[in-house]
Amino acid sequence: MSEQHSPRRPYLAPLTASWWLKHRYYRFYMLREATVLPLLFFCGCLIAGFYSLQQGESSWLNWLSFMAQPWVMALNALTFAASLFHAKTFFELFPRVMPLLPAPLMIAGQWLGTVAVAALLLLLLGGVL
Amino acid sequence: MEKTVEKTVEKTLVIQRYNPEHDQTPSQQRYQVPFDNSTSVLDALLYIQQSLDPSLAFRWSCRMAICGSCSVMVNGIPKLGCKTFLRDYSGDLLLEPLAHFATEKDLVSDMTLFLQHLQAVKPYLIRQEQSAAITPATKPQPHKQTPKQLAKYRKFSSCINCGLCYAACPQFGLNPEFLGPAALTLAQRYNLDSRDQGKAERMPQLNGKNGVWGCTFVGFCSDVCPKHLDPAAAVNQGKVASATDFVIGLFKP
Repeated sequence: MSEQHSPRRPYLAPLTASWWLKHRYYRFYMLREATVLPLLFFCGCLIAGFYSLQQGESSWLNWLSFMAQPWVMALNALTFAASLFHAKTFFELFPRVMPLLPAPLMIAGQWLGTVAVAALLLLLLGGVL
Repeated sequence: MEKTVEKTVEKTLVIQRYNPEHDQTPSQQRYQVPFDNSTSVLDALLYIQQSLDPSLAFRWSCRMAICGSCSVMVNGIPKLGCKTFLRDYSGDLLLEPLAHFATEKDLVSDMTLFLQHLQAVKPYLIRQEQSAAITPATKPQPHKQTPKQLAKYRKFSSCINCGLCYAACPQFGLNPEFLGPAALTLAQRYNLDSRDQGKAERMPQLNGKNGVWGCTFVGFCSDVCPKHLDPAAAVNQGKVASATDFVIGLFKP
């Protein structure tokens, strides 16, 4: 019986590397995930900042002037925008993963928390910068 | 006397054809189908099969979005044929079999993987006393449930196994071993059920590399779900359950 010929020959379409370009939903997903790329640059800046702070004054001033360059400012502005965008998508997904309170309440709460932490950091570190 | 001539409005359906007995790869065929406000994609397919081309193969049964048989890709988006209407499309319609599954013939997909993944999560009530033989003396008692307990899992219990979420899930497309949205939702549905005692039997599947952590919350599955049961939320709630299970496991001797 096992030798019997089967007319079955299922065809599986290959999934190309460009699968995520084919649909608006997938492009949005890739954009969301890609927000990590500019963030990587900012993290590099931050680590370099801590390192130069430890190296001494001239090194620290060098780092400050590096950070003030227009292209660095532009890239970090992009990082900021990308992170806000990522936060928005994250805050909207979170109530679906842990439905503790009505979703609009949880979204508002998360933004409130973000603003509070940002304000606190500005208050504490604002004088330094 | 003036005769009323019914104006026939037609739409072009471009359908992917594949006959395993002659074709190496699928091809496309165009059909002109008359339609009105109430013509669904399934109606159009039935019209083609009955009036234009009896060789066209597709699955269907209930025509009312409950059997989950008539799943097809309409212009690249997974849809139930019976719940999708020609009136909502301005141009031609491109119909293809479900993405990420192998095509048996024309619009018929091989759903074996899907069914295997469903089975893998043991989607049924598991009771510990079931192992003991049921005799007239140990007559099983009904397991009562409060409305509050029902509400916990009810949202995830209306799956019709149509497979649209798998065709929407790029992670399943990239890794066919990934258990996928419907199976992981079903696992979560039974884990949340107060009558069930089988969570320990399901967690190894959920924790494994093809379990909940294979999901990256693309979220398209919830968008295409014809029953709006939000599989992406269920899968990601499964991540919380999996993480909790892991932490508890650390403290167990």
